[in-house]
Formats: sequence, C-alpha cells, structure tokens
Amino acid sequence: MTVSSNSMPGASEKKAPSRSSRFWAWLIFILSAAYFLVPLGATFYWSLKAEKDILGFEAYKRLFADSNFLPAFSQSVVNAAAAIFLSLLIIVPTAYWVTLRLPKLRPVVEFITLLPFVIPAVVLVFGLIRLYSRPPLLWTATYESSRVLLICVYAALSFPYMFRSVDNGLRAIDVRSLTEAAQSLGANWVTILFRVIFPNLRVALLSGALLTFAIVIGELTIALYMAQHTLGPYMADLTRSKVYEPSAMAIVSFSVTWMAMGVIQLITGGQGQATGGH
Amino acid sequence: MAYLTLSGISKQFSDSYVVKDFSLEIEKGEFVSFLGPSGCGKTTTLRMVAGFESPTTGNITLDGVDITDSPPNKRNVGMIFQSYALFPNMTVAQNVAFGLRVRRETASNIKQRVEEMISLIHLEEHAHKFPYQLSGGQQRRVSLARALAIQPHVLLLDEPLSALDAKIRVSLRSEIRAIQRKLGITAIFVTHDQEEALSISDRIVVMNAGLIEQVGTPFEVYNFPQTQFVANFVGSLNNAAAEVLDPARGLLNLDGIQLITASDIQSKKKGDKVRISVRPERFSFADVQRKDNVLDCTIENITFLGSVVRIQVKIGNTKFNMDTFNNPFLELPKIGDREQVSCSKEAVLVLDE
Ligand SMILES: Nc1ncnc2c1ncn2[C@@H]1O[C@H](COP(=O)(O)OP(=O)(O)O)[C@@H](O)[C@H]1O
Ligand SMILES: [Mg+2]
Repeated sequence: MTVSSNSMPGASEKKAPSRSSRFWAWLIFILSAAYFLVPLGATFYWSLKAEKDILGFEAYKRLFADSNFLPAFSQSVVNAAAAIFLSLLIIVPTAYWVTLRLPKLRPVVEFITLLPFVIPAVVLVFGLIRLYSRPPLLWTATYESSRVLLICVYAALSFPYMFRSVDNGLRAIDVRSLTEAAQSLGANWVTILFRVIFPNLRVALLSGALLTFAIVIGELTIALYMAQHTLGPYMADLTRSKVYEPSAMAIVSFSVTWMAMGVIQLITGGQGQATGGH
Repeated sequence: MAYLTLSGISKQFSDSYVVKDFSLEIEKGEFVSFLGPSGCGKTTTLRMVAGFESPTTGNITLDGVDITDSPPNKRNVGMIFQSYALFPNMTVAQNVAFGLRVRRETASNIKQRVEEMISLIHLEEHAHKFPYQLSGGQQRRVSLARALAIQPHVLLLDEPLSALDAKIRVSLRSEIRAIQRKLGITAIFVTHDQEEALSISDRIVVMNAGLIEQVGTPFEVYNFPQTQFVANFVGSLNNAAAEVLDPARGLLNLDGIQLITASDIQSKKKGDKVRISVRPERFSFADVQRKDNVLDCTIENITFLGSVVRIQVKIGNTKFNMDTFNNPFLELPKIGDREQVSCSKEAVLVLDE
C-alpha cells in the first residue's frame, strides 16, 4: 500500500529539500532536544553534588539506604502491575467486542474511557472517599482495602491510554476475519482471545501497559489522600526535607521508564517487520 | 438424502432481503459453485452455511443433522476467506496446526497431519515462515491447508482466487480442484467469474439479486440457459429485438429478415415483441446450405483475440459478434465485404426475461 504513494510524481520531486528548509528542520530539532535535555542534564548534575567539592553518587547511596525508599518503590511497582492487569482485562475484551459486534457504540465507549481526563484528580479522590468510606461500601477501612481501591482507580485512570492503544492495535489487524477463521477451525472465545487476539496486539498492549506504568509509578494526589505509602507521596516528602536526593530520585524514576521502553523495543523488534509487511 | 441441504433459506438485513427462498441439495464429494454478480448474496449464503449468519427463515442440514442454529465452531465446516485471514503471529506450520490444537489432538498426530497438509500444498520449504513472508498465492494455499487440516465436512471458498494475477489464478484453481477430488471433500466455491465457475465445478448455481436463476452442470448452464440473465452472465451473448411471425413454426422477424428458432414460443402471439439471443460462436461462414438460418450481412469490424477471431457483422440494422477459431490458414473477409452467415435454429434463443 505504501508503494503507490512512493510512485506519486509529487513525492519524488520533494526528495531533496532545499538548504534553508534543512537548516530550519535542524534548528527546531536542536531546540526541542535542548528543551528536553537541559533540565535533565541539570538535574543529573545537581544529583551528583551531594558531597562537598566533588561529584559523586552520594545522593543515590543515601536514597537507596533510606529504609522508606525501597518499600515505597516496590509498592508502586506492584500497584502498577496490578492496575495494568486489571485494565487489560477490562479494556481488551471491551474494545474487541465493540470492534467486532457493536461498531456503532465506539464513540460512546471512547467517551466513557476519556472520563478520567475530564475529572481532576482532586475531585475524583474526594468523590471516591465520600462514596467508599461509609457503609455499605466501606473500602477505605484498612490500609490493604484502600490499596485495592487505589489499584482500581489507577486502572480507571489508564483507560484513555489503554483503550486508544488497543483500539489502534485492533484496527491494524482484520479482527473479524481472524475471529471467524479461528471459529470455523473450532476455537471458542477464550481460545480466540488468548491465542489469536492478544498475541497480535502485543505492541499495542505493551505501549498501553507502559503508559499505565508511567502514570501509576509517580502518582501523588490520589495516593496521598488515601494515605498510601507509595512512591508519589515519598517523593513529595523527600522534596520537602532533602536537597540532593529528590534529583537523584527523579533520575532513577526516569531511568526505570526508559528501561521499560528499551525492553519494549527489544521485544517488539521482530514484530515491527511483521506489521510493516501489511 | 443429500449430504448438505439448504431448504427455503432467506436472509433479511434491516429491511431488505439479501437471499430469498434459496433451496439446494448438494451430494457428498460434489464441487458446487455459486456464480453471480457482486452483491447478489453469494457470501451471505456461504456465511449461513458456515454459521456466521443465521437465516431469517429456512433450514440447513448436514449429513442428516439440522445445523441451522449450531455455532460456527461446532459445525466442522472449513472456510477460506476472501481476505487471507491467516494468523499473523503464527508460522505456516502453526497456522495449519491451529485447528488440530484446538481439538486437543496428540502432538504426534498434529505433527504428522501438518506435514501431510504442507506437502499437499507444496510449501515444505516455507513451513517456518510467517504469513507476511509469503506471496499472495502461497498465503492462499496455506489458508487452504489450514481449513483442510481439520478434515471438515464441507469446504467453503469465498472468491479464493480474487486479487491474484491471472497465471496463478488458473494454476491455483486447478490445484484446488485436484486436491478436492483427491480428498473427496464436499465444496462450495463462490465466484463472480463465469470462466472460473465453468472450469472448476460439478454444478453451478447462478444467482441474481438473492434468487437462484438456474442450477446445472457447466455444460447445461452454458448451452441451455433458462433465463435471459443466465444467458448473458455466463459466456458472451448477442441480443436483439425481434417480432413473432408464426408461433407454431417458430418464425421470427428481425428487421425484415426471417429467422427460425427452436425455442418454444407457442405461448406467444403473432406480432409480439421478443428478445433473441445468439452466442457468437454459433454463427459461421461455412455450411451455408445446410443451416436453418442463412443471413446476409456486412462485415463491420474484425478483432484478433489470439485463439479466437471476433468478427462484427451487421444483419439488418443489428450488429452481432461472431467468433471463429483462429488458424494460420484462415481466410478472413475484409471490412465492408458483403457475406452470408449461418446458424442453426437451436442457436437462436428466445428466453424468459
Ligand atoms: N451484515 C450486513 N448488514 C447489512 N447488509 C449486508 C450485510 N452483509 C451483506 N449485506 C448486503 O447484502 C448484499 C449481498 O452481499 P453479499 O452476500 O456479500 O454479496 P456477494 O458476496 O454476492 O457479493 C449486499 O447488498 C450487501 O450490502
Ligand atoms: Mg462476496
């Protein structure tokens, strides 16, 4: 399908951009790179200055030595994983069913998944506390039950990203024919979902999962109001009480996200060709 | 009793009927084609046999069992889709194995059957490639092997040769037919290409606007079309307006020229307007003395089509095409020449509208 656009006469004429347009392209690239890299570099530099007169990883050592850091970090990672799982479990079958059987409902479902964007976190958390802290839905009674509630909320917060990724993934494959082919070969719905649909959505699912991870790992407002000892409140606390550690913390959480992206690149490297062939 | 029976099937989408009162009996091992223009309901009928649509009215039985309401994954009916519908995440071998794994066959059974199927379609060297690494024709063959691996009761093929280039289309169609004969499998083949249907089928079901126009062998459908639609859709045809002269003797008047037909026009009256149809290959320059109809004509045009030469002649005020086989010693008339062409009375068809 891309072949035809390549052979358009207009496309080949534009092959060699003029000198000035190339200059502007580079300028814009450099400016945006700087916009992104300068604060990052400055933060990293600051995180290395914890010891007087020498640059070193003292702030990182102190951070990892802090007995509150690792529990908060691992709690956030577990929350993120649970939220991703829950979100996938809800969104994939929903998006699949909408694509297959109820295409007319897509705008409605799309709107519903967008709701977390519309409602500010503060409003959301007060609503939640009002609803779930009195009988019959007493979910905030213990730390653990609050945590379950928090995971559910995170799953809901991930809906806009998750639905969009999954929906894009579903559009890239011929869902209907694949489903019917599997059916005529004797497969039931569970088999179709797990053996045909999920594997072909790998890239979409991973990118949705990554975005969810990025949201959950640093989320502050809701975790704070629900008195959860996760990474968000921990960082906020750190910023108030320490000087260099917050920068080290920022670099650590940034690296985790980048590592996750690297992993996705690795896993999906072969898949990129496959989808490119269509 | 027939192996696969469709009785009184109709299908309604919103407010219009897409398939109307469709009844057909197919014997075990038979190769039947659904032939008709795009949008006439071929795919819909096929999908009802596969179980992806349920008929508004009517019943489908397979091997004596009513399957009208059974779900597609319980019918054991193989389907080849218009789009390839291969699983992109699986290799050729995994695609072929899918249905067997779903049926929880033993690993050794699966392995053996997959090898069998892959050698049947001659893709041994490509067993571990992914679909995107194969050509269109190869992907078609994989979808055939995948559908056949589960030993379906019936194989359904929805325009499996469209979107392939002409050479591959012809070779793949004989390959499909050979495999079907070898396995003795019952097959329904959907196509809008009359040549394809004529060349591959035991029987052809010609459809138009959701209705069956005619069911018959390729020979019957081509030589004895029962309706105007069938005559026009299958093969090429000359049509002209004529007037009945003598219903009892089958005499017609074409622009003042007298013609005789073997079609039954007893129910018509003298002076009735009818449409006559003549296949191009039924005209000839030879045998002028022995034929029923001998007609004066002018040569209008000559087109060389390879194995066939198509000559346009004007009889009265009407232009007809006539086809003659090409050979190097053929003496062709020149444009503007006055000639005589002949045809038998059986060649002049008067068909129901
Ligand atoms: N799911 C559907 N809903 C509404 N109309 C449909 C649906 N499927 C097919 N049709 C209509 O039914 C008619 C026959 O379609 P189809 O069976 O695909 O024809 P064919 O395969 O002979 O080209 C077409 O006019 C098509 O638009
Ligand atoms: Mg069709």
